[in-house]
Amino acid sequence: MKMLQEDDAPDAPMERVTTSANGKVKFLTDNVSVFYGAKQALKDIQLNIYANQVTALIGPSGCGKSTYLRCLNRMNDTIPGCRVAGTILLDGEDIYSGEMDPVHLRARVGMVFQKPNPFPKSIFENVAYGPRIHGLAKDRQELEMIVENSLQKAGLWKEVQDRLAQPGTGLSGGQQQRLCIARAIAVQPEVILMDEPCSALDPIATARIEELIDELRQNYTIVIVTHSMQQAARVSQRTGFFHLGSLVETGATGQIFTNPVEQRTQDYITGRFG
Amino acid sequence: MNSETGHAAAVPAAVPRAADRVAASLKRRYAAERRFRACGLAAVCFAVFCLGVLLFTVFRTAIPAFTQTMIELEVTLYPQEIDPAGTRTADAISTADYQKLIRDALDDLFPDISDRRQRRELMALLSPGATYTLRDTVMADPGLIGRRITVRVPFADDVDQFAKGRFDAAADAASRPLSDKQIEWFQRLEQRGLVHHDFNTTLFTAGDSRSPELAGIWGALVGTFWTMLVTMAISFPLAIGAAVYLEEFAPKNRWTALIEVNINNLAAVPSIVFGLLGLAVFLNVFGLPRSAPLVGGLVLALMTLPIIIIASRAALKAVPPSIREAALGVGASKVQTVFHHVVPLAMPGMLTGAILGMAHALGETAPLLMIGMVAFIVDIPGSPLSAATVMPVQIYLWSDSPERAFVERSAAAIVILLGFLVVMNLVAVVLRRRFERKW
Ligand SMILES: Nc1ncnc2c1ncn2[C@@H]1O[C@H](COP(=O)(O)OP(=O)(O)OP(=O)(O)O)[C@@H](O)[C@H]1O
Ligand SMILES: [Mg+2]
Repeated sequence: MKMLQEDDAPDAPMERVTTSANGKVKFLTDNVSVFYGAKQALKDIQLNIYANQVTALIGPSGCGKSTYLRCLNRMNDTIPGCRVAGTILLDGEDIYSGEMDPVHLRARVGMVFQKPNPFPKSIFENVAYGPRIHGLAKDRQELEMIVENSLQKAGLWKEVQDRLAQPGTGLSGGQQQRLCIARAIAVQPEVILMDEPCSALDPIATARIEELIDELRQNYTIVIVTHSMQQAARVSQRTGFFHLGSLVETGATGQIFTNPVEQRTQDYITGRFG
Repeated sequence: MNSETGHAAAVPAAVPRAADRVAASLKRRYAAERRFRACGLAAVCFAVFCLGVLLFTVFRTAIPAFTQTMIELEVTLYPQEIDPAGTRTADAISTADYQKLIRDALDDLFPDISDRRQRRELMALLSPGATYTLRDTVMADPGLIGRRITVRVPFADDVDQFAKGRFDAAADAASRPLSDKQIEWFQRLEQRGLVHHDFNTTLFTAGDSRSPELAGIWGALVGTFWTMLVTMAISFPLAIGAAVYLEEFAPKNRWTALIEVNINNLAAVPSIVFGLLGLAVFLNVFGLPRSAPLVGGLVLALMTLPIIIIASRAALKAVPPSIREAALGVGASKVQTVFHHVVPLAMPGMLTGAILGMAHALGETAPLLMIGMVAFIVDIPGSPLSAATVMPVQIYLWSDSPERAFVERSAAAIVILLGFLVVMNLVAVVLRRRFERKW
């Protein structure tokens, strides 16, 4: 716990810390608790997410990883009875303050869901929807450019370039997930949240997405929830371990996997429980 | 290891293995399955049989209504009778005494009848509509005046019924509507080849009439059209709006729960209650015209509203939450999420609900009786404000008439109404198939 504090928890949380030894702080989470009705799902989470890094969140099922992720783009607002306490700053701005518009926030913080959920529309429309509603393209040509770029970045362009008019739901699971990533990228967010993006994919598709995550890191900040230790070790620079609604430990991925401070972390990553 | 063997030893050898017990019970299970299947099959067969009997009787009664017995008459259009002044104005032509022309033409066929009373009896063979047919023919082409033309005019309904074998010439004269003489004359006309059985176009083009051979369903169909138009125009947008609001936007609290319960209750309210409401509110308070499709449409709209709302909410609920999350996740607002993604996906279900609601309204009689749509209306309604009746009410009126010919006409109207219902339900099925999407 000592080390955790040194490394991550801001000494003066309300001072709107924007940089630390690990780089520019994108998301600063201070004392965040989440309740579903009377049930507390997250307890006093202190966590920093750094710009242009991949942060992996690991932990046993039901420990609150998805809940935390959904706090970052206020998707929890849509769940009746869900309450978030504490402070989350995005670039020093409180995202739960009255001035923050959740719609604007979600345009800045994109999300890729655990289960691929393309719209039942054409591949083109899937990617073009976000830019269109946000007015990111002046004309059709620019929209087509955005779609092509996004599909290319998501590594899907070659496979779908001559069937953009076909329904996105007709793609394979892995292709659908990459389509969802392209859809998230098309809005040009600053952060991409990924909730177990590879849980339904085969090793080849998983490898492609991991590659993709590594490429995306140049331009985006990425938070990924995963159940695969190997995946967390491969793609992330920082890792947070959640257990029973608390953040047990967080730090550089190498340190978490080789030399964890907490016994529980050690037990989890070596597969002794979870 | 020890405990395992100990356990095995404790089980007496006489107890059969699980697989044997399964095998023994299989026979019983299959027998139960066979019994259940037989029951189901019997139920389906019985239902199909009842439906078949019903449809068969309706169709058998209805088929004669689609033909009409007509007489071929040679009429001389004397100019001095029709338009003595020779002005040839529509007014003069329309007021001429066509009945006399018809009578003369008929008398020409029976030169042997001189007695006045018998001649009146002879004239009674023809429908009062015969004069209208002749007048319409002349009005359509005034150039015919002065010529000798052949027209086909309808027989009276009793003659038509006789021609269709509804009663026997051998029966007691007092118990049949035609006299011996009339039957004899009709048979003579038949021998001369002047009797025809034509397709009954009047049934599809005329409004209601006291004479069955002149009565048609067109008036009721147009009335139904106006009524359904009003119903659709009011209930569809209102129901979709209510469903979308309640399902997607309304806070889930005690008030919305109360509204939900009441919508479900409203769907179960007997339709006549809506008629009473229409009478009390639309006619008495707002002073809207009686017998008008506008009021009928309003009443039926109230009646179908809960049906469409319930179907639409079910359709909205069936849209997977992942689609909503996907849209919200790329930064769509709530309204955009709902109208770009959720509503289009729910649309087939909503349309199906709407069509089923409309089909329900199409067959509704009771509430319309309350607001006076049961009146005898000859004219074809020209707008939602003119007096009208609708198909089911027309069927009710006809089936209540003493003339036998009306019985087959009400059966024919039932067949036509059933046709509309089948078409609407088919459209609902096609819509569902067409727009059904996988996600
Ligand atoms: N909508 C909800 N309503 C009530 N409780 C919820 C809701 N969503 C999650 N929870 C509860 O919150 C806790 C954390 O759930 P969460 O989905 O964040 O877990 P998770 O770490 O993502 O698990 P997994 O790895 O299985 O996805 C769980 O105990 C769960 O039961
Ligand atoms: Mg989860």
